[in-house]
Amino acid sequence: MINTIIYGLTIGAILYFISIGLSLTFGTMKIVNFAHALVYTVGIYMVITFLPLLRGNFLVAALIGTAVVVPISYVIERFIIRRLYGESLDYAIIATYAVLLIGVDLIKWIWGVNPYPMSDPIGKYLSLGGLTIPVYRILIVVIAVLLFGALNFFFRKSIVGKIVVAALEDKDGVRCLGIKVDKYFSVVFILGSALAALGGILYAPITSIHPYMGFMVLLLSFSVVIVGGMGNLNGTFVSAFALGLVMSLTARYWSQAAETMVFIVMAIMLIIKPIEI
Amino acid sequence: MREMKGLMLKKEAEKTPGPMTDFLEFKRHLPKERVLLDLAIVAAAFVLLAPILKVQRVTDFMIFCIFVLSFDLLYGYMGRLSFGHMLFLGAGAYGGGLCIRYITKDPLLAILAGIVMAGLLAMLIGLIIVRTTGACFALINLAFNQVGFFLVLSVLRKITKGEDGLGVVPAGLGWLNLGSRPIMFGFVLFFLLLAFYVLRRVTTSPYGYLIRSIKEDETRVKFLGYNTFLYKWLTYVLAGCLAGLAGTLSALNYGYVNPNFMDTHRNVEVVFAALIGGAGNLYGSIIGGVVYMVISNYLAIYIPRWEMVLGIALLILVFRFRQGIWGYVRKKGAQRSISPEIGIEKG
Repeated sequence: MINTIIYGLTIGAILYFISIGLSLTFGTMKIVNFAHALVYTVGIYMVITFLPLLRGNFLVAALIGTAVVVPISYVIERFIIRRLYGESLDYAIIATYAVLLIGVDLIKWIWGVNPYPMSDPIGKYLSLGGLTIPVYRILIVVIAVLLFGALNFFFRKSIVGKIVVAALEDKDGVRCLGIKVDKYFSVVFILGSALAALGGILYAPITSIHPYMGFMVLLLSFSVVIVGGMGNLNGTFVSAFALGLVMSLTARYWSQAAETMVFIVMAIMLIIKPIEI
Repeated sequence: MREMKGLMLKKEAEKTPGPMTDFLEFKRHLPKERVLLDLAIVAAAFVLLAPILKVQRVTDFMIFCIFVLSFDLLYGYMGRLSFGHMLFLGAGAYGGGLCIRYITKDPLLAILAGIVMAGLLAMLIGLIIVRTTGACFALINLAFNQVGFFLVLSVLRKITKGEDGLGVVPAGLGWLNLGSRPIMFGFVLFFLLLAFYVLRRVTTSPYGYLIRSIKEDETRVKFLGYNTFLYKWLTYVLAGCLAGLAGTLSALNYGYVNPNFMDTHRNVEVVFAALIGGAGNLYGSIIGGVVYMVISNYLAIYIPRWEMVLGIALLILVFRFRQGIWGYVRKKGAQRSISPEIGIEKG
C-alpha cells in the first residue's frame, strides 16, 4: 500500500511538471497547446541521444534536454501561437495539433518507432521496515515540491511573475498599464515548455519511451488542469497529486483502468462545476 | 434591359447558398426543387467518380463523407470543435457489428442498432460535454474517445474480441446481395443522400438558424429566451447518430470492426477534411471528404512521411486558406457574378 502511494505521488509530481505549462498558457493566452506534448517528447529523446555521449551522466543529459526545448518552444510561440492570439480557439487547437503531428513524425523519422528502454539513473533503494522504495521516485516528489515553492516565490516576488499573475486575472487591465503582455506570455510559455520537458525526462526512466507517449500524458495533464482550475497554480499542484493517487490506487486493483478513472473524475468535476472559456 | 439583367443577377445572388444570405432571407421552407437538385448533384458526382476510381474506394469515400457531414454539423454549424468524434463512428460500428454477430444478420437492423448505440452514447455523455465550449469541448471529447477506445480494447474484450475485432457479414437485403460491390455502392449512396437531405432540412430550418446563432453568440441566444443547452444537446445527439450511421456502414463495407474504428489519432482526419472543404457548408463537407480520401488513398502511397505532410497542410489551412475549397469557389463565383452594390447589400 505504501508503495502504491509513493507511486501515486511520483505520477502526481510528473503530472504537476507537465500541467503547470498547460495551466499557465490556458489561463493567460486562452490557448490549448497540443504542442506541449511535443516538447515533452523531444526532451526525452534528447536525453536518450546524449546519455551515451555523456557516459550515463543523467543530470547533464537532463539539463541539455531541457535546454534544447527552449528554442523549440520559442519558435512555436513566435510563429504559431502569437499569430493566433485573439482568434478563434479552434484554430489554435488545430494549429498546435498540426505542430504536434509534424514533430512526432520527425521524431519517428530520426529515432524510429520502437520503444526505448531506460534504466533508473540512481538505482538505489531505500528500505524501510520490509519495504523497498526506489530513491529516484522519492527524489522526483521532492523536486516537485521544491518546484512548487520556487514557482510560488517566482509568482509572488519577481516582477515577471507578478505581471503574469495579474494577467491571469485581467489581461486587458495589465495591457492598459502599458505593459507588453505578449512578451511576458512568451516567457511563461517557454518556462512551461521547459518544465514539461523536465517532467518528461524525469518520467522517462519509469515508463517506456515511444514517439506517441505525449498524447496520453497531455490528456492526463489536461484533466489535472480542469480539476485544478485553469490558471490556478495551487489548484494545479493539489489536483496533480490527487489525480496521481487516483491513478495509482486504481492501478492497484485494476491496472488497465487507471487512465480512464482520471477522466471519470474529470467528468464528475465538470458536472459539479462547468467551465466556460 | 440592363436593369433587367441586374435584377436577374440579383435574383441569382439571392439563390446562392450561404449562411449569411440564408440567414437574412430566413426561408422557413426550402424549395423542393432546390433540395432535389442538391441531391441529384451529389449523387451524380459520386456515380461519375465510381468508374474513374474503383467502386469500392468510392463507397469508402461516401462513408467518410457522411462522417464529415456529421462532424460539420457540430463544428461548422454549431461552432464546437470536437477532437473525439471517432468515438461515435466506433460506437456505430460496434453497435452494428455486435448486432450482426449476436442478434440478427439483417443489415438495416444493424444500421438501426449502430445509430441507436451511437445516439444513446451521445445522449449520455452529451449531458456533460455540451456544458463546455471551446478547448474544453475539444479535449473532453478526446478524453471520452480514449475511454471508449480502452473499453472496446480491453474491458469489453469478451464481447468485442479486443484487438482482433469482429467479422461483420450481413445477410442480403431482400434479393439484393450486399457482398456485391455495386449494390453496396448504391446502398451507401442512398444513406449518404438521406444524411444530406436530413442535414439540408435541419440546417435550413429555424432550428438550424438557432444553432448557427449559438455559434455566433450563445449569450445573446440565451437572452432571447432559448434553452441553449437543449439545442446544443440535440445537435450533439444528431451528430452522434449520423457518425454512428457512418460507422455501421463502414463496418458493413469492410466486413469487420476492430478498435481502429475508434482510434483517437484518427480524429485529425475529419477535422482536416472539414477544414479543407470549407466548414459550415454541406457541399464543403462532401468536397472535403472526397479530397481528403483521394489524398490519403493515393498520395500517401508516394509520400512516406504522411503525418508531416498532413500537419503542414493543416498549418497552411489555418493560416492562409481558412474558407476551404468550397468557400474559395463561392467567393470567386460571387465576385464574378455580382455587381458591387449588390455585394454590399448582401452584407
